[in-house]
Amino acid sequence: MDEFLRVSNELIHQIYFGLAGLCGLVLLRGLFFRNTRKTIVYDIVYAYTIIPFLLRALHIK
Amino acid sequence: MSGYETYKIPRKILLLAFALLLALLGGREFVELRTMKETVVVSPAFTKVVMLSEYFPPIRGTGVDTPVYIYDSGVPGGSMFYLGGTHPYEPATTLSAYVMMENLKVEKGRVFVCPHANRSAATVGMLGNAYPKFLHVETPFGPKAYRIGDRNTSPLDQWPDPFTYVHYPSGQNLDYTDARNLNRTYPGRPDGSLTEQLTYAIMELNRKEKITLFVDAHEASLMYPVVSTYVAHDRALDMAMMASMELSATEFPMKCEASPKGLRGLSHRDAGDFCDALVILMETPEPFIDRVAGKITEQLMMDGKDEFLQTAADHGLLFTDYNIETGCPMWDRVGRHLSGTRAMIRQMNEFLMEPSKELRVSFPAYSDLKERGLGSFLHDPAKADPAKVFLN
Repeated sequence: MDEFLRVSNELIHQIYFGLAGLCGLVLLRGLFFRNTRKTIVYDIVYAYTIIPFLLRALHIK
Repeated sequence: MSGYETYKIPRKILLLAFALLLALLGGREFVELRTMKETVVVSPAFTKVVMLSEYFPPIRGTGVDTPVYIYDSGVPGGSMFYLGGTHPYEPATTLSAYVMMENLKVEKGRVFVCPHANRSAATVGMLGNAYPKFLHVETPFGPKAYRIGDRNTSPLDQWPDPFTYVHYPSGQNLDYTDARNLNRTYPGRPDGSLTEQLTYAIMELNRKEKITLFVDAHEASLMYPVVSTYVAHDRALDMAMMASMELSATEFPMKCEASPKGLRGLSHRDAGDFCDALVILMETPEPFIDRVAGKITEQLMMDGKDEFLQTAADHGLLFTDYNIETGCPMWDRVGRHLSGTRAMIRQMNEFLMEPSKELRVSFPAYSDLKERGLGSFLHDPAKADPAKVFLN
């Protein structure tokens, strides 16, 4: 049971980092390939909001 | 072609490069804090170090697994579990654990010291508070660095936060960030969140080692009523009351409060309810975390001198004595924890009057730190026996 809990914890933990990376990729796609919100302000927003997901996916913050 | 379409791709690449540069600059500082190691030179009385996961294996390898240092006299008696760093942005607690570990002598009984109760929280700074990453204690061998951490478990180790944190087992609704707060998750549960599992591991140590006195060290803002105070669980209340009177008469003002029965998840309530130990929580005054304090700097952390707090004191808004001439220096706060613990041990021995629960120990007191300074009780890792040097 203890080992199952430990492995489950680790699995959920890694899925979480994977999801953070996925969010970062979605934002990256939004920066370059979106069809709506075509202003430079949204370019800045998309580029800037990649930062926390990148840092999270890299286990930094 | 619209203005937006002109140089669209190069502009986006430039913006992305700028964002990556910001991520690099910020990321370097986050990594520095997360990977920095503090050194401690344990005293000759040291017996062994174990990871907390020895008491609850599921936390092994996670960000919350933390070393526990054991000092066993070999003479049967009582035992104490001293917890520093429950909230790592209250660093006098960790420093008091280090001073204890470096100077501890145990004549009877056993002492367990955990300098970073929530190690995960010690590896990340407070979000949005612009805290300095480190503090430095002046020692005869130069400045020694220690981390200034967060209040709660790092989101790198536990995420996401619930909309409302429901405390187990009371069902009381608490602030959502308290799901990562070690001192809101007692008594913990084996299949709960990572912080609840950490708390459960701490409780397992208390239960399996039959701890007599469990001390949870904290610091508080001066505008918080429970500052310079013991908060005692029911069974420890009489002795804490005596200890507070003893300290107030001899060393520094110290209040005492009974643990409220309706405030759940705290060590002085739920740790005491779910193990046999006598449980107390201690608070010292930390101007660094007061909401009205001025610039949040390392100097404020170390000397505790702030003109806005003085103004607040002049208007009677603080719950402890404050004078900007003396401030609340680090040695004072560390000394309060050490003397507060010594007074509790003395009172415990006198109240229990049981040889099987007697604990005889010595380590520096408030007056020692006042006379010789905090740094003189820390040892140079470069000159110490490598077997006695540990990294946290």
